Amino acid sequence: MKKKILSLVGLFTGCLLLLSGCGAKGDENNFVVGFDAEYPPYGYMDDNGEYTGFDLELAEAICEMEGWTLVKQPIVWDNKDNELNSGSIDCIWSGFTIDGREDDYAWSDPYVDNSQVIVVSASANIHSLADLEGKTVGVQTASAALSVLEDPDQQRSLADTFKKLQEFGDYNTAFAELEAGSVDAIAMDIGVAQYQIESRDNGNFIILDEHLNSEQYGIGFALDNTQLRDTVNADLHKLKENGTFDTLAEKYGLSDMVCLE
Amino acid sequence: MSFQVILSQLASGMLLTISIFVLTLLFSMPLGFFVAFGRMANNKVIRFLTQLYISVMRGTPLMLQLMVVYFFPWYLFHISLGSFWRFPAIILGFTINYAAYFAEIYRSGIEAIPKGQYEAAKLLGYTKAQTFLRIILPQVIKIILPAVTNEVITLVKDTSLAYTLSCIEMFSVAKQIAAAETSMLPFAVAALFYYLFNLLVSLGMNRLEKKMSYY
Repeated sequence: MKKKILSLVGLFTGCLLLLSGCGAKGDENNFVVGFDAEYPPYGYMDDNGEYTGFDLELAEAICEMEGWTLVKQPIVWDNKDNELNSGSIDCIWSGFTIDGREDDYAWSDPYVDNSQVIVVSASANIHSLADLEGKTVGVQTASAALSVLEDPDQQRSLADTFKKLQEFGDYNTAFAELEAGSVDAIAMDIGVAQYQIESRDNGNFIILDEHLNSEQYGIGFALDNTQLRDTVNADLHKLKENGTFDTLAEKYGLSDMVCLE
Repeated sequence: MSFQVILSQLASGMLLTISIFVLTLLFSMPLGFFVAFGRMANNKVIRFLTQLYISVMRGTPLMLQLMVVYFFPWYLFHISLGSFWRFPAIILGFTINYAAYFAEIYRSGIEAIPKGQYEAAKLLGYTKAQTFLRIILPQVIKIILPAVTNEVITLVKDTSLAYTLSCIEMFSVAKQIAAAETSMLPFAVAALFYYLFNLLVSLGMNRLEKKMSYY
């Protein structure tokens, strides 16, 4: 009986290690992209349970050119630096804002022009950044929007007028809180904001016309990994030339925002 | 998105959740015995070290311990283990944490047995090993079962902490589907899964308790 159980467990574990989402790496030919899987339209899970999105499809196209195997590794956003430094992932490719992090990573050329915006309830009487005085504003932990609001040279003085800057882990929770009224506004990237508002499709949310700032997305590599960065960067430009880049941008509704020359 | 689609997507995460659960129990329950014996050892050094181990494991968050286990090879020795280390690190982290709790549960059971039974066994010519295995242990198991059930049920829910190391177990999948669909329904399905899983665990443990109530 005991032996039976043990061999069952053994078999189970074996299968699992092969299948598991925490799977094994170690293959030189793998290109491991770390991304936030709760960040549509850049990276998310589709109806079939597959990871997809604008960034991941670009990565897939590059892997096809280079003959690499793409490994899509969802990461916890707070741990992105640990994952990159320890070599668990080759790059961070996830609607990743360059501004404010210029010296922290080896960057590709910027490929998306992005703004940080404020989303509010359509029924709330908030029409400009000045109306946010005394309000509770939600922002994702370790996000670009947070660093904009904390930077004295950018929107720190605005953030000081808020009643509270409420940090949260993911956008779904933030929108639930906005809907419930426990936060008055959310600061976030415009692309993500558009996706969230469109897919909720209930006319409850609007983006303020005044933006917090303008910034750019790039692919972040470890500082000592410029060789891989250069390869991927050159491939990215090839995708732009052959039209793949613009086709994908259109597919994900980002045509107005892409900026790769 | 229908209930069935959500369920089928969650299935891959469930497999991972269940395997974290099974492997953690498999390793931590026996390890807990060694820790319990260390905790009750006559040797002062061993006793002190196990006491320190238990107090650190119980005194710091499991989430933090998981991060330490996964990232220490790089930050301490600059060894890059890559993604390969992810799953083993999770199992190791859970195991050393739960072993500490199990050790204290075992100790509570072992120390509940009156001294007189050891003396009686000695008088009847039992060796130390025989005394423990044939007389003490069966009673200990009976005493500790409710406390062990508590811990096992906690483990089912704690598996969601594996998300810290970017292991996409069931709760992480639920969060990802919720993000892509901008819906809260996946969380309801996740809650149902945890509840049914724990219902099975407690039913199983109840049966075991009944089986053990032979005196």
